[in-house]
Amino acid sequence: MEFEVLAKCPITRARVSRMKLPHGITMLPTFMPVATQAAIKGLTAHQVEALGITLILNNTYHLNLRPGTKILRDVGGAHRFQGWRHNLLTDSGGFQLVSLNKFTQITEEGALFASPFTGEPTMLTPEESISIQHAIGSDIMMQLDDVVHTLTVGPRVGEAMWRTIRWLDRCIDFHENSGRKNSQSLFAIVQGGIDPELRDQCLDEMVKRKDRVAGYAIGGLSGGEEKDTFWRIIKQCADKLPEDRPRYSMGIGFAEDLLVCVALGVDMADCVFPTRTARFGVALTFNGPLNIRLKKHATDLRPIDETCTCPTCTSGTSRAMLHHIVTLETAGAHALTQHNIVFQARVMGGARDAIMNGTFPTYLKTFFANYFGDTGYPEWCVNALRSVGVDLLEDRPHTKIIAGDATKWEYSDAA
Amino acid sequence: MAMMNAELKPRSSLIFSSSPSQSHATPLPHFGPRLGEVNVQRQEGAARIAIKTPGMMTATSRGVVPHLSRDHVRLTRAICWVHVPFETFLEHNPPLPITQPGPRPLHQFLGFSPADHVLSVSARDPFDGRDMPANNKDYVATYCIRGVRKLTPEVWAQYDAACNPDIITALSDTPFTSAPHSNKRTHKSLERSTAWLANLLHSVAARRREVGSDGEPLTGSLSNVLVHMAGGAVVQARKAFAEGLMEDLEEFKAVNPSPYRRLDDGVAGYVFDLVPLRAALSARSKAADEDLGDDADTLKPRGAINTLTPTSSADTSAMDPAALSEVLRASLQPLPTHKPRLVNSARSPHEMLRLVRDVGIDLFDAHWAQRAADIGVALDFAFPVALGDTQPVDARVAGSPRTKVRPGEKMDLGHNLYSGDYAHDHSRLAANFLDGRSHAQQTAEGSPDARPVCPCGACSPRSPGTHILHSALDRTSWEGQAGADTLEPPFMRSYVHHLLHTHEMSAHSLLVMHNLSVLDAFFVGIRSVLEHAGTEEFNRQVDLFLETYDEEMVLFDEAKVDWVQVEMARGKGRLAREKIKQAESSLGTSVDV
Ligand SMILES: [Zn+2]
Ligand SMILES: [Zn+2]
Repeated sequence: MEFEVLAKCPITRARVSRMKLPHGITMLPTFMPVATQAAIKGLTAHQVEALGITLILNNTYHLNLRPGTKILRDVGGAHRFQGWRHNLLTDSGGFQLVSLNKFTQITEEGALFASPFTGEPTMLTPEESISIQHAIGSDIMMQLDDVVHTLTVGPRVGEAMWRTIRWLDRCIDFHENSGRKNSQSLFAIVQGGIDPELRDQCLDEMVKRKDRVAGYAIGGLSGGEEKDTFWRIIKQCADKLPEDRPRYSMGIGFAEDLLVCVALGVDMADCVFPTRTARFGVALTFNGPLNIRLKKHATDLRPIDETCTCPTCTSGTSRAMLHHIVTLETAGAHALTQHNIVFQARVMGGARDAIMNGTFPTYLKTFFANYFGDTGYPEWCVNALRSVGVDLLEDRPHTKIIAGDATKWEYSDAA
Repeated sequence: MAMMNAELKPRSSLIFSSSPSQSHATPLPHFGPRLGEVNVQRQEGAARIAIKTPGMMTATSRGVVPHLSRDHVRLTRAICWVHVPFETFLEHNPPLPITQPGPRPLHQFLGFSPADHVLSVSARDPFDGRDMPANNKDYVATYCIRGVRKLTPEVWAQYDAACNPDIITALSDTPFTSAPHSNKRTHKSLERSTAWLANLLHSVAARRREVGSDGEPLTGSLSNVLVHMAGGAVVQARKAFAEGLMEDLEEFKAVNPSPYRRLDDGVAGYVFDLVPLRAALSARSKAADEDLGDDADTLKPRGAINTLTPTSSADTSAMDPAALSEVLRASLQPLPTHKPRLVNSARSPHEMLRLVRDVGIDLFDAHWAQRAADIGVALDFAFPVALGDTQPVDARVAGSPRTKVRPGEKMDLGHNLYSGDYAHDHSRLAANFLDGRSHAQQTAEGSPDARPVCPCGACSPRSPGTHILHSALDRTSWEGQAGADTLEPPFMRSYVHHLLHTHEMSAHSLLVMHNLSVLDAFFVGIRSVLEHAGTEEFNRQVDLFLETYDEEMVLFDEAKVDWVQVEMARGKGRLAREKIKQAESSLGTSVDV
């Protein structure tokens, strides 16, 4: 991997970088759409590429179950299997093990779980996780981490954090001995729950291993913790992680979360949210999400967003037409999926341009005014951005402030 | 009056002619294989859309080609004539497409390109043969998601004028009540269908007399009218209906001044919906002549259009092909030969071939091939049958294994990609076709393969020629990337197998593009044999095809069983959603949430 920071925002911690991987160059900050099972819902790899996407995510846990490593090795990896020519990132499978299998047991050796096919006890070790990711052939691999639920407290959090560090060492050793060091890059995952002290210890240990890892992910968040806690941990990690390594915030997808994370110094994020919400009939826009299933869209002949560059909007698909097919025809889901992927890319592309031009604080203010202007700003966003020198309320002191998580949604009127 | 004023007669934007390669002196045969071309030219001087026949029409559900995003529709060259059942739009009043402004509201609303796509509409989904409340003399009972809607011929004509499709099928009084139908019912059906056709023709003619702001007649906004051939399974009734189209309209002129001498003068083509026709034929062959009358027309609970279980093979093979040809010919006998004949819901390429050979049908809808994509079948057959296909071959030699051979020595028409056999099959979808990339490589190496290329988005995918740029920096990502708009390797059977088992909707997108392309190639093959080898050789090739490929379609039954098993493994909610979808629409699968 080649990683180069091209520009830094003079006010916030945001930066633009160029990340060169075996399957091309990805400009950061970026959002990665999720292709859990080697397909972004309903689309082909070529369609995703045409949307201007250079980096997607596959899930190791799922691809290990189906199609399995034998088939992936036979065809020469997941790129060829799904027809994807660009960069690919895989997680380690640890998160799915814990979230999808109730009876997973963690030992020092690895994670012991019952195979969903045969019920037989199966062990996923750090070495095995890397080996599966080698079969997949992803450009960026994640270490196996010991995942605990975000809201877990007590000694288990520290235990998991220290084990994650030991497992990182095992992943590094295995990967370095595999001969694939130049074709695949390994990222470490910072753990430590919502305890700043544990996070600090984890950061210290992992930064020590900097020469043997290509980048860092911030794990263990977006699992139900308070937003106020969330941003403080992100900030703590981003501040301490080395300047010359990409920083990846796992499981982040709401536009406001993305922009706050970018301002705090995060370069990459992923989430199933934009593609999942598309299948439920929600179109993301700069004025907030639209629930296309609502009756008010049934006769509206305007596209979702006249300024949008996606195939759905540029081909003139009206909200009324989408209302007619969404949730009933798979093609309706595809149309919204294409739009939402482009929306995420526009949010991040706009951030890149603004950082390059030195106007990122203004970009943030404009975004929040359009997106939350009529409903009120989430308090945590205001606080998070103040911590990096941007006061969203500077020119608009009378803005309504909403405490708590304040996600903006159009609820169904049971049309 | 002997002749009508020629200027009053609407100029048709649909022209059907014998194939230009054939001598113009050759009239189209009355019964027997016909080579032709449908040309749609909306305005004088505008580009034509030409559809060669025998050829195909793409079916839609809720106005979309199921599983295809608009960019995939554009990519699929097999999609040219698109048929839209209008009834799903009746859940809103006014129906949404008629609220769309612009010269071609239906194209615009549904996202089809006026330059590339011919749009036809019918009131009902021709594949939906479920029981319905009886029609009466003023309306047809149609079905939408909110229930039954009554559609009158006057309103149908208004919708036509407002949404301006290229082609519209006049309302037809086809009984969707329990067969057999009484003579009285059949007679009424003819009367109403004739009156409703006349009604639509008058409306089109009236619009012809309107002129645009430039003083020119609005020929660009005239739909071509198709008529569904009424009469059910009764040969005499079918003949009578057709003869009625050819009668002089003299007697009606006083009340309804007509620009046509005969109704047929205003008709652009003839439609046969096989679903109600099959029901009528099977009732005819079974039942004694019971006079049920209209009073027996009661609304039965509507079952699913599609079942999640295999159709009993007794049902599928019950119908005698000769009986079907006979009733279609009865309709066509009194009519001129120079108009296209359309068949909806043919259920196999075998049936299509027989109808081309025995009746002279020109266009078929692709419902069967599209349905195959819903249930995980990748079509893999060709006409004429490829040399060597009748002999056993080492499957691996060709690089892409052929379809299964059944105990009766007949080959499958495609691959059930749910089957575990395909988990490790990394070849392209169809053995009968090359993928674009292999073809290009072989040609470059000077050893071209005789097989045609499947141009679909699954077999011959291309890297995008352009990428959406989201920042000024994004060019960096694409500049270094070799090969924009170049051929990429084909999608593999093992990948589609994987997608089907993981409920990824992309499986169906790939299969729809592929299956439409295979069916399109089938018609290319038919035309090529007819053009270059003549009717006799065509008949020989039809026999060979019928002998080679399995018409019982065991394959489809197996695929359905596997499909349901995978759905069930996913849980009750998932299966329930799928059942609702299958009851509401004759094509497509539910959205996987
Ligand atoms: Zn859009
Ligand atoms: Zn194909």
